[in-house]
Amino acid sequence: MTRLEATRLVVAAAGDAAIIASLGHPAYDLFAAGDRDANFYTWGSMGLASSIGLGLAMAQPSKRVIVLDGDGSLLMNLGSLATIGWTRPANLVVIVWDNEEYGTTGGQDTATAHGADLEAAARAMGIVATATVKTPTELDRVLARARTEPGPWAIVAKVDETNPTTKPSLDYVFIKQRFMAAIGQPEGATHGGPA
Amino acid sequence: MTVEPRWASGVCAGLHAAGSRHVVYVPDNPLSHVLRILRESFRDITTTLATREEEAFGIAAGLYLGGARPTVMLQSSGLGNSINALTSLLVPYQIPALIVISMRGGDSEWNAAQVPMGRAVPAICDAIGVPHVTVESPEATADLVSRAGRTAFAARIPGVCLLPRRLTVPSPPGAA
Repeated sequence: MTRLEATRLVVAAAGDAAIIASLGHPAYDLFAAGDRDANFYTWGSMGLASSIGLGLAMAQPSKRVIVLDGDGSLLMNLGSLATIGWTRPANLVVIVWDNEEYGTTGGQDTATAHGADLEAAARAMGIVATATVKTPTELDRVLARARTEPGPWAIVAKVDETNPTTKPSLDYVFIKQRFMAAIGQPEGATHGGPA
Repeated sequence: MTVEPRWASGVCAGLHAAGSRHVVYVPDNPLSHVLRILRESFRDITTTLATREEEAFGIAAGLYLGGARPTVMLQSSGLGNSINALTSLLVPYQIPALIVISMRGGDSEWNAAQVPMGRAVPAICDAIGVPHVTVESPEATADLVSRAGRTAFAARIPGVCLLPRRLTVPSPPGAA
């Protein structure tokens, strides 16, 4: 299963969930699979997608939050699994596209190509709802479970790398304001001006 | 009975007055006073421990996207762990946070490992375009923290309050 195919399955099953995408190929594939207002594309801050998702899940506990992370990115911020395992937001689903390489930077091996197991890491940090999937059918099945069974979820999806051909907007404030409006927190209405 | 330092009560009152109900932090010794007061007297504020300062800024960004007004608390050494989050997430997306930094490396510092970053904090903030104010007295703390927070959330840019050791550990100078 390619990451783009897998991303299409996530978008199809997302409903009105917020989706946070890690920078580079995960964000490009999310844009290609289905640009939607409730997508938040990061263009930097490698490693922080799951942290952004955690903060959003805490602020909006009734909103489903899906994070599309990469194996290299999550390896840069493994502490995030400990914080998620501690705070346990039921509405957070972290999906890790594990292609065992740094796909955006030229295909260098990540540690998952040499034995690192990110599902085991999530479990070791107190995240109970976890899975590793390798086929579209397995991914669909676990996405269905994640819609009904409380999280936090950590889903490692083994995917094949393909080169994205499109990219989302580079207007960061546009990305933010479109996203916030889509999840019912329009920036102009609840932010700015005197407290 | 514990007598709470006035500066610490001021930090709590200031961030609360700025509308912040979420504090994400990596602890240090002076900030433990703030955390205790928050837990005892500000029950409407949620505190979240991050494993690393960079992670704290990621969580804060997510909180803001969800409509909250986040505060991040850290020691000056942790700014070094935060710069990429600030410069590639909060600043370009215009995501604000009130940032409270407990300073090391200045007056009466005994640990050389704290000195370079402690000295560099204001220059780093200037270099990345993040405004900062230094709290100089316990009496002024609540007002300065509140103003920094209100400015941050109104102008949509992170705003830093620096807490020097002469404020947080008046005498004698202590270890972290």
